[in-house]
Amino acid sequence: MRVDVWITARVVTAAATLAVLTVIVFWATEVLPGDAVGVLSGPTATDAEREAVRLALGLDRPALERYLEWIGGALRGDLGTSLVSGREVAPLVGARLSTSLAVLVPAVLLIVTLAGTLGTAAGLRHGGRLDRWLSGTTLGLIGTPDFLIATALLVLLTAWWPVLPAVALIPPGQSLWSHPELVVLPAVALALGGFGSTMRLLRASVAQTVTTPFAEFARLNGVRGHRYVWGVVVSNALAPAVMALAVMTAGLLGGAIVVETLFNVPGMGSELTQAVAGRDVPLVQGLSLVLGTMTLLLLLVGDVAAKLLHRHAPATSGGHR
Amino acid sequence: MRRLTAAGIAPVAVSLVLVGCSAGPEPGPGPEQAAAPVTTTGGALRAAFAGGSTETLNYLKGPTALDYVRARLVHAPLCELDPSAPEGVAYGVVEQIDVSEDLAQYTLHIRDGVTFTDGTALSAQDVLYSLRAPVLLEGLPFTRLVARSFDLDAATVTDPSTVVLPTLAPVADGRELICQSMLAIKDGTTEFTPQTPSSGPFTIAAFEPGQSTLLERNDDFYGPAPTLDEIALVSIADGTARVNALRQGQVDYVSGLSPAQAQTLEGESEVTVVTSDLPYASYQFFSMNLDVEPFADPRVREAFKLAVNREQIIENVYFGHAFEGNDVPALGFRSYDTTLEQRAYDPDRARELLADAGQEGMSVELTAGPELPGMVETATLLVEDLKAVGVDATLRELAPGQLFADYPAYLALPFKVGYSPPALFEPNYTPGTFPEVDVLVQTARSAPTAQERLEASHAAQRLLWEQGNQIAPVFVPAISAASTAVGGVRELQFPDLSQATVTR
Repeated sequence: MRVDVWITARVVTAAATLAVLTVIVFWATEVLPGDAVGVLSGPTATDAEREAVRLALGLDRPALERYLEWIGGALRGDLGTSLVSGREVAPLVGARLSTSLAVLVPAVLLIVTLAGTLGTAAGLRHGGRLDRWLSGTTLGLIGTPDFLIATALLVLLTAWWPVLPAVALIPPGQSLWSHPELVVLPAVALALGGFGSTMRLLRASVAQTVTTPFAEFARLNGVRGHRYVWGVVVSNALAPAVMALAVMTAGLLGGAIVVETLFNVPGMGSELTQAVAGRDVPLVQGLSLVLGTMTLLLLLVGDVAAKLLHRHAPATSGGHR
Repeated sequence: MRRLTAAGIAPVAVSLVLVGCSAGPEPGPGPEQAAAPVTTTGGALRAAFAGGSTETLNYLKGPTALDYVRARLVHAPLCELDPSAPEGVAYGVVEQIDVSEDLAQYTLHIRDGVTFTDGTALSAQDVLYSLRAPVLLEGLPFTRLVARSFDLDAATVTDPSTVVLPTLAPVADGRELICQSMLAIKDGTTEFTPQTPSSGPFTIAAFEPGQSTLLERNDDFYGPAPTLDEIALVSIADGTARVNALRQGQVDYVSGLSPAQAQTLEGESEVTVVTSDLPYASYQFFSMNLDVEPFADPRVREAFKLAVNREQIIENVYFGHAFEGNDVPALGFRSYDTTLEQRAYDPDRARELLADAGQEGMSVELTAGPELPGMVETATLLVEDLKAVGVDATLRELAPGQLFADYPAYLALPFKVGYSPPALFEPNYTPGTFPEVDVLVQTARSAPTAQERLEASHAAQRLLWEQGNQIAPVFVPAISAASTAVGGVRELQFPDLSQATVTR
């Protein structure tokens, strides 16, 4: 298939998935037990007071009507207003996304650096001492829950050797982007928890590429050093690692709940858990929709990047072109 | 009073009051310092609460404790509960409340010399608007306590410093209702922004929901001038993160700690842990549904109450930071009946009662959620206690926020946990379960003499103690912690930071 046709088809699939996702998100919030009326009214409100809250929130209208209104608004960039605080959802989600990205971007850069160098080094000499040591370490990190990594960092860098703030306290009117010192701990915690799987995939892929007849041919023809590593091995081995990185990044965007909670980073994940607990349906929907869209986008970028890498790479043992 | 909503704003537990950081450097039972450091004027206090992005300046709609703590600093209270005062209240911008002989009319006298930040003087019209605001501005149900007992539409301003407030039916506890959480706002206020005119000890310099609020001293405040120049209220949703921030000196004061977190801080030299005093402790109860067959039998209800080992709950769940309950609400308030015998832990008698009722080996599922610190843990121990007397008890644990989210479903549960924040018994009693108690509570609120009212209240409490469907093993106080440099925090239903001091 031609690449441009493939990419178009992939974009259309992503758009269709997004459309299905909106229905699922809306349906999921409908079947969530209870609603904001119960949460807001508290345990001792009278029935009349509960009914008044329900009317005020517009929860007495049919679900389909509310879905169409929501989706219509979303297309115009209006995600409604929070049932709990009465604030507009769209700017709130925007702020949370920006905060999440402030931690995620450095974390992913760290992951790419660590996974790229260590994965390539281990794969080139697979079975060697470095490879064995890295395998053990990364397996250990992959198996360690986020909260343990985060707690260990807290003990190390805020209690024993207090060089970094324990909790991200952002002054009013400022964003996390202007406070790199607040980003270090959560970003490192995310990177340590996340780089293992990407590194191991790249290592396996590099190790496999090194043994292909193609790589052997290159070596026999005197291709050495950087030309060999980058031109022959890495460019050929990168595709699966890029896809893995895309999947992991998408996961970290909304799934960094533990790290966000422990370091008080007001990001997408912690906001979503609080919104679910408060039955703040428009906020849950807005956050889920944006997370879903971002995830689909990241996966799309990952797929397209992998496809392009494959296209330019010389034949591998699998013989894909 | 301000109700804590059940929201997953779980940390609302924050709100539980933190009593006792009395002014001065040695709040609580901690080691006294040899010489009290001199309290300097000025300075800034950084206080952390659970908060969250649902934070709002509109305290009538704000579901988190932080919303009220901030509002209380920005808007002057009309008056406040004060169980030790002769009338049960301490006056604020309202300097006196007179009650008519027939308990059908309350007259509020407004203090002279109170001004808003826009320079206008506070008048009776503003006070009347403040009383009506929870209804006019569609405040959450827990803000509408006054509207439930007073005819606000018929209320009148008779002169610039007097409001006359008729009741819907005669009530004697109207002062407490008015003083539970009413703040003074300007007539016609419909939205709350940092620029909204206010009359409290501080004004809002900056506000970022879910992050922080910066408050600056209002030098035109009518009451005792605050010592602090600034207060920063920061939002840290997670209790552990709050503790970490305090340990590292990022904040000076943290609210809403769990008993376990408090335990980890006990003994640290730079930190003082404070548990709120009575009456500021939440009533945690386990409610038996009378529509479900075994609980219709009073013997079964009494057996369940006797089966609970309250001491064990206080020690193992709360590390001593809790008050023993006696299955009736409002411990520490003036009308609480202290003559009731403390319920014993008597598993043998419980077993006998269950046998008499033919309910040995009965099955029951207890539904609980983490809406209050230690709630699920208490439920776990209660289930074990019930198993020990032969009940086939199981625990169903819900996710945070789920317990009250579907209220009709919650009410229909056979056996469930619940709580109410510190509040008077009589006005907060929900009628409909025990007709005899309903009548007594009505008398306790409206009888002509104080003696008759108190006797009726005690009779109602005794009936609930004997036959009621709530097991209340403990009252749960709020736990806060502060750096030893902090003093003057008044731990009322919500912490009041207006007179706080920081010595550096």
